[in-house]
Amino acid sequence: MIAAARWRVIRRRLLQALPVLVLATFVVFSLLKLMPGDIAITLAGENATEERIHEIRELYGLNRPFLVQYGNWLAHAMQGDLSKSLANGEAVATSIARAFPNTLLIVVLAMAVALGLGVPLGMLAASRPDGLRDRLVTSIASLGIAVPNFWLAMLLVAWLALNFGWFPATGAVALKDDPLRALHHAILPALALAAGGVAEVSRQLRSSLVEILSSPQVRTLRAKGLSAGVILWKHGLKNAGVNLLTVATLLFNRMLAATVVVEAVFAIPGMGNLIVNAALTRDLPVVQGVVFVMVLVVISINLAADLLYTVLDPRIS
Amino acid sequence: MTNAHDAQAPQPSTAGLTRRDLMALAGAIPLGGTAWAQGAAPQRGGTLKVSANANPSSLDPATGGAGTDHSFLWTMFDTLVEWDYDTLKTRPGMAAFNFPDPRTMVLDIRPGILFHDGTPMDAAAVKFNFDRSRSDARSNIKADLQNVAQVDVTGPLQVTVKLARPDTALPAILSDRAGMMVSPKAVQALGNEHDRKPVGTGPWKFVSWSANEKIVVTRADKYWRQDRGFVDGIEFLIIPELATGLRAVVAGQNDFAYQVPPRLMPLIDKAKNLQKVTGPTLYCLQVYFNLAKKPLDILKVRQAINHALDRNSFVKASLAGVGEPAYMNLPKTHWAYDETLVKLYPHNIDLAKKLLAEAGFPNGIDLTVGSYTDQDSVRRSEIVGEQLRKAGIRLKYITGTIPEISGQFFGNEKKFDMLLSAWTGRPDPSMTYSLLYSKDAYFNAGRVDHGKALTDLLAESRVAERIEGRKLIFWQLQRNVMEQALVAPLAFQYELVAASQKVKGYKPNLLGKPKYEFVSLQG
Amino acid sequence: MMLRRFFAWLRRDLRATISLAFLLALGLLAVCAPLIAPYPVTAQDVDNTLASPSAAHLLGTDDLGRDVFSRMVHGGAATLYASGLAVGIALLLGLPVGLLAGTLGGWVDDAISRFIDALLSFPSIVLAIAVTGALGIGLTNGMIAVGIVFSPQLARLVRARALVVRQELYVDAARCFGASTARILWRHVLPNTVQPVIVQVTLLLAAALLAEASLSFLGLGIQPPSPSWGSMLARAYQNMELAPEQMYAPGLAILCTALAFNTLGESLRIALDPTTKR
Repeated sequence: MIAAARWRVIRRRLLQALPVLVLATFVVFSLLKLMPGDIAITLAGENATEERIHEIRELYGLNRPFLVQYGNWLAHAMQGDLSKSLANGEAVATSIARAFPNTLLIVVLAMAVALGLGVPLGMLAASRPDGLRDRLVTSIASLGIAVPNFWLAMLLVAWLALNFGWFPATGAVALKDDPLRALHHAILPALALAAGGVAEVSRQLRSSLVEILSSPQVRTLRAKGLSAGVILWKHGLKNAGVNLLTVATLLFNRMLAATVVVEAVFAIPGMGNLIVNAALTRDLPVVQGVVFVMVLVVISINLAADLLYTVLDPRIS
Repeated sequence: MTNAHDAQAPQPSTAGLTRRDLMALAGAIPLGGTAWAQGAAPQRGGTLKVSANANPSSLDPATGGAGTDHSFLWTMFDTLVEWDYDTLKTRPGMAAFNFPDPRTMVLDIRPGILFHDGTPMDAAAVKFNFDRSRSDARSNIKADLQNVAQVDVTGPLQVTVKLARPDTALPAILSDRAGMMVSPKAVQALGNEHDRKPVGTGPWKFVSWSANEKIVVTRADKYWRQDRGFVDGIEFLIIPELATGLRAVVAGQNDFAYQVPPRLMPLIDKAKNLQKVTGPTLYCLQVYFNLAKKPLDILKVRQAINHALDRNSFVKASLAGVGEPAYMNLPKTHWAYDETLVKLYPHNIDLAKKLLAEAGFPNGIDLTVGSYTDQDSVRRSEIVGEQLRKAGIRLKYITGTIPEISGQFFGNEKKFDMLLSAWTGRPDPSMTYSLLYSKDAYFNAGRVDHGKALTDLLAESRVAERIEGRKLIFWQLQRNVMEQALVAPLAFQYELVAASQKVKGYKPNLLGKPKYEFVSLQG
Repeated sequence: MMLRRFFAWLRRDLRATISLAFLLALGLLAVCAPLIAPYPVTAQDVDNTLASPSAAHLLGTDDLGRDVFSRMVHGGAATLYASGLAVGIALLLGLPVGLLAGTLGGWVDDAISRFIDALLSFPSIVLAIAVTGALGIGLTNGMIAVGIVFSPQLARLVRARALVVRQELYVDAARCFGASTARILWRHVLPNTVQPVIVQVTLLLAAALLAEASLSFLGLGIQPPSPSWGSMLARAYQNMELAPEQMYAPGLAILCTALAFNTLGESLRIALDPTTKR
């Protein structure tokens, strides 16, 4: 059973989340409304006339007062109705339900690579600080952070997809439809995203491990005769866990935002693609809906991380 | 009057033609209809996967608006009137048409056509469609049918259309959205949802549409024609980025990509498993003017711009030669083309400078131009900018998305002096000219009255009956437009299609919007 | 005295020296761009497109026959200007807001923190699209948007430092002596936030560089025909099958510059705060 303290954490977080949710969606809504132009012109299409454009505005309520439009949307959203796309009539919830798994697959894969490569590299570097291995890892890390991820994506496409043909160059396949092919499509984008993550994780882990390993407790353990390897694993990693969790949480949030450009390079129908297209065509309900969902995701991730903290380090309340 | 018996027997088929034959068709004199190759009926079966370059806003022909929708719509909707692929001359589709008098059009519907939901395509259905297109709040095609006064059912398979004014463009209009018949039962049952679940009479019926992702259609069981619709189904994968769409075909993920940017043609040549098809279209890249803005209100300035443009170089640089220079709003193969206009504005930098000086700008002029953010538009703007710079016409570009920039140029804000964009072409030339140059037209950015002569010619073009008479009127119309330099046409972009080897039978059409009715998959 | 410490630091830290030298050289190149570039950036040569490097064209030509080297040099100027502008805006917005939140505390701090949380919780690219949509597409506007997107991070950093400083005894002492809030801000809080801010600024410069490239890649950055490294990459993406080598020059330039900024930032962090473990 979840301890009372944890319930308090959850409840407090959710309460804090509400104003953030409203504020974020309101800010986006206001900004988009400030932009000139609206979707009426797109909808009128090739046979546009002034009257037709005006008609469309009336039809979709684009002329109603600002706060009325927002209030309307918020009321529906709170009940779970994210309304329909103005551009093509599809229910926003449906579009998101289809796009989100594609983005999630790439981000989760990228996180797996970032942690899977970053943790060992960080440990390697920390095992002998200032040694050759350490310097090598640190240099690779610097490179990883500085590389533009869409350039990396382009390189991967040019070499691995187009030249060697090992991976598909475009698109995505839903995980539930064909897991193997879905993974095949997701690997290159995930690699492009992960580069920065590997760098970040290894660097952070290295510095926190070095700090722990030079602490008095560890020196005592060494004096008692425990091998370096065992110390690194059992003592070092567990204590560095908190720091690692922070890094991982931040990384996840950053990757969610960074998928936008990667999705553009690979033509993946994910959240990034969805929101960019919607913002460019002033398809307000879709932008609002995506922001709403993304804020919820970020809040949930932060909440999960907070709960994990209490597990990892009972001193944290 | 105009009698629809000009029509020939069923459609041309290119089944069994080799790649070389298809190439020979590119840019050649229109062939008209060719008979079936003896005993070479195309194979049925397979699913065609197409890289589509835009997401529709609606799959209902009356409520949608984009020119890119047609290639989806034509799979599910047949039209009352059809056209010859190479010249766009009209002929009967689901109905035969004739004009007993200039203000009456009679449509005789072919028997035995069923909608995908099983209901009959009859006179009542046609009347329903006309009324809906003319009066529904969500209809985008009211303007197309503005000359229609009343539609009456005069027989189980006959409809009589009474016109407020004579309108000889009406048959061509009925080959487009207004002629796509939707099932009245479906519209009444689904209401607005019909946008997303369309029901028509085409060779394929709707299966699913995931916005911005995929549209799927499958063979319609009781399709009324045996000589069309050979593939079992079509999947449109929506990939807005044109180079990426081609990449999917090169990689073998898709079978067909259309409107491929010509500069990517070397890629199609390099890929050994692909064939390419090209053909002329009505897609005219041009520079729109807002004549209400100084200094574009001065004729010599507009003429200078026309002289400063090097159209041949543009075709080479921007279209890799897959296109033709544009001297008016119609291409070479169109039945109303006037070749005497070719010599009107030859490329001449010195003349351009002289005209500018005479207009009072010896040091050149500065103009703002709206353009779009996609890479092909950016490329075009760079080429045009450099060409005009040599004549002292300095351009400042402002880019944005298509709806934004077009809206700002044509709509109320009236930003920018010029717009570098394209005209996608209409089934009938009178539509093109009235939508571009009549005084209150949306696409006449300055809302300027271009003179009584032009207005009279526009009116006449809708009245004149025989095609020979109409041709002469359009010659006069185009001469009027070009002598006034109301626009600076650049080039016609040819249709460029990349397809895998197993795709047979595809024939491009002059409208530039692909139809798949003759495509079959072999091997 | 400061200058001597500066040079001593440079001598100690090779990486910092190299980074600084690289960035200075880049800056010089950018400023002297009109003198160095052999061709005007718009001069097209449609008969000589996508050419390989040669004596006439050091880095070859692009898909319109323009000299890549000239465009890289001018593009570098634009890109550096872009980074500087974005970080400038971030400082302009983030510094005062963070200071206010951290020093005043109470409901002001709460409100500002909520606002910052909200801004940080949705994808920055949407913010950039919205701002460029409102102001118009262009390099300056795009970078203003990026600056706005970065300002919450700076605000948070400054706020955290301000909170720490506030607890310090000497601030209480100053208050006892009747010093006003503004004076406390100016004389005590601000100087103590300078060091981490300097470090963060170098890191943000690298991030702004990448952001400019991303925006230009999506078509929301610099207007044609002016070059920037990001827009050159976007064009290279278009021509990926025809001429993949067009990707290397702008990509490597962005990588090296971002690397230089990051390295400098890290070195500064170590040098300025002796308590940081390496």
